[in-house]
Amino acid sequence: MAQNSNAPGQSPDLSVQLGPLRLRNPVMVASGTFGYGEEYEDFLDLDRLGAIVVKGISLNPRPGNPPPRIVETAAGMINAIGLENVGVDVFLKSKLPRLQRWQVPVVVNIFGNTLEEYAHLAARLDGVPGIAALEINISCPNVKEGGMVFGTDPLMAARVVQAVRHATALPLITKLTPNVTRIGDIARATVDAGSDMLSCINTVAAMAVDVFSRRPKLANVMGGLSGPAVKPIALRCTWEVLQEVRCPVIGIGGISTATDALEFLLLGARAVQVGTANFVNPSVTTQILEGIERFLRVEKVDRLEDYIGTLNTHCLFPFAEIACELTDLP
Amino acid sequence: MKIMEDARVLSQEKVAFQTHLLRLSAGRISREARLGQFLMLQVRDGTDPLLRRPFSFHRIDGEQGIIEILYRVVGRGTWCLSRCERGDHVGIMGPLGNGFQLPECDPAPVVAVAGGIGIAPMVPLLEKLAQWMGLEGRKRGIHLFYGVRTAEEFIPETALDTLGITVHWSTDDGTKGHEGFVTRLLEDTTRREKIKPCAVYSCGPLAMQYHVAKWALENAVPSQLSLESLMACGIGACLGCALPAVNRAAPQEDHYLHVCKDGPVFKAEMIQWHKIQTHPANPPIFLYS
Repeated sequence: MAQNSNAPGQSPDLSVQLGPLRLRNPVMVASGTFGYGEEYEDFLDLDRLGAIVVKGISLNPRPGNPPPRIVETAAGMINAIGLENVGVDVFLKSKLPRLQRWQVPVVVNIFGNTLEEYAHLAARLDGVPGIAALEINISCPNVKEGGMVFGTDPLMAARVVQAVRHATALPLITKLTPNVTRIGDIARATVDAGSDMLSCINTVAAMAVDVFSRRPKLANVMGGLSGPAVKPIALRCTWEVLQEVRCPVIGIGGISTATDALEFLLLGARAVQVGTANFVNPSVTTQILEGIERFLRVEKVDRLEDYIGTLNTHCLFPFAEIACELTDLP
Repeated sequence: MKIMEDARVLSQEKVAFQTHLLRLSAGRISREARLGQFLMLQVRDGTDPLLRRPFSFHRIDGEQGIIEILYRVVGRGTWCLSRCERGDHVGIMGPLGNGFQLPECDPAPVVAVAGGIGIAPMVPLLEKLAQWMGLEGRKRGIHLFYGVRTAEEFIPETALDTLGITVHWSTDDGTKGHEGFVTRLLEDTTRREKIKPCAVYSCGPLAMQYHVAKWALENAVPSQLSLESLMACGIGACLGCALPAVNRAAPQEDHYLHVCKDGPVFKAEMIQWHKIQTHPANPPIFLYS
């Protein structure tokens, strides 16, 4: 990687404080796009990541939805996987130990059909070594029970968070759905209920149909849109959430380049999660990290923390020469 | 070991109706790849199309560092790929999946079934089988049942001539060989000629695979079917490429296998075929856009 000649000798400090967690950098991977980590061992050094959020875990194994489960759309994809997962027992017995060989913090995404299941699951994971935090999934659009039903109602969302809060001392991240009228209300309710952090957004409810067969392209009919197509929606949601709460927020949605990640950090997100881009390029997170580092050198910012949340909402017309040094960002 | 590699296009030619042969220089993946495995190919940078596309290996030459992909233009991704020219670069990732196993028994004949572009992974497999069973391939009985919709979709006969195997041709419209589905030809021919194969290999659309599986199960022929599904990642992370599978422990409960990591090659008895519903292939959508 060519080093910028103007750059100072020391590499910029990428570490971020995320609530009680200190991350070596802000680049995490999003739940459901990185399996249990092992799928990606051939492609990157997992310890370079800020944190790994594993595929959503439920109390019992779930087979998932019938296929077809995914379809590509313009600059994105719609999925209706249906939270297929091995269940908490298999996760603890065979998936987590392999992840524990790495230093990278592991965030476990949890999902339940009922409040009791959420609480039970959180209790099972409480005190397990090698788990840095829990991410509460109240936003999956692809399952009939639970999921987004919890995430679209501030009262229900708060009750889920309370149930989990009482069951564990682990730091809690609540993952929000964009499929609501006012995401700020849900954010406020979950933080008041004890969530330490928020992550947003989960996928955008979506649909695709086939004009020849006159049928939906997904067996589940509807699914969740992800990929570059949703980034502007995600930025807006992140911004609205940041206006509403003071807790750390993790930006998610369509991030596939360093510039994308920096946009969320600029708004005030303290970390980001890379999702669909992992499918296209399994080592994309490494490139994003290198891009962020290069950006900070060029911008002469020593600590990433100094860049976070520095958006000036007074919009100006850009001049062409401003960005010329940044064109080689991935 | 899965590898990401920047592959140079050595050549691309149109070999049949909507069917292209792409030769790539891929030193590392070509050395690792086995028959029946696949790769994920990024047809170009950017977000259109966004995801990589899965392709089986048509030829693997580890010594020369070359792989070939035989593919059919069915949508925007493959259309973009068909525009690639000598000297262009495409990102590839592989080898992925489990691949074919050679049959355990020797003496009995072997049957292969290819539907449409499903011929792609069958050619190198047949080559290997012919080699393995000796020069007497034809006498020893390697049968290929090869069906397409209409004769212009067949890849050139010369590609199969050298193998020394018996090819049974079929077209849906009768323009060459048997008129009708290839699976019907398979059933009739094996019954009439009393062919009792020790293995059946197959690749083609799911509707065809359903009938091959049925035939294999009824005749107790060990099968290896290379199946397909829509997939985003190819490495077992997205869980998109699920197929309904038989769950021996709990037959009543839904169970899925994933084409990318459990397959793409499956035994007929692993899949719950009655749960797979298909509709006829669409005309390429870009014709209408």
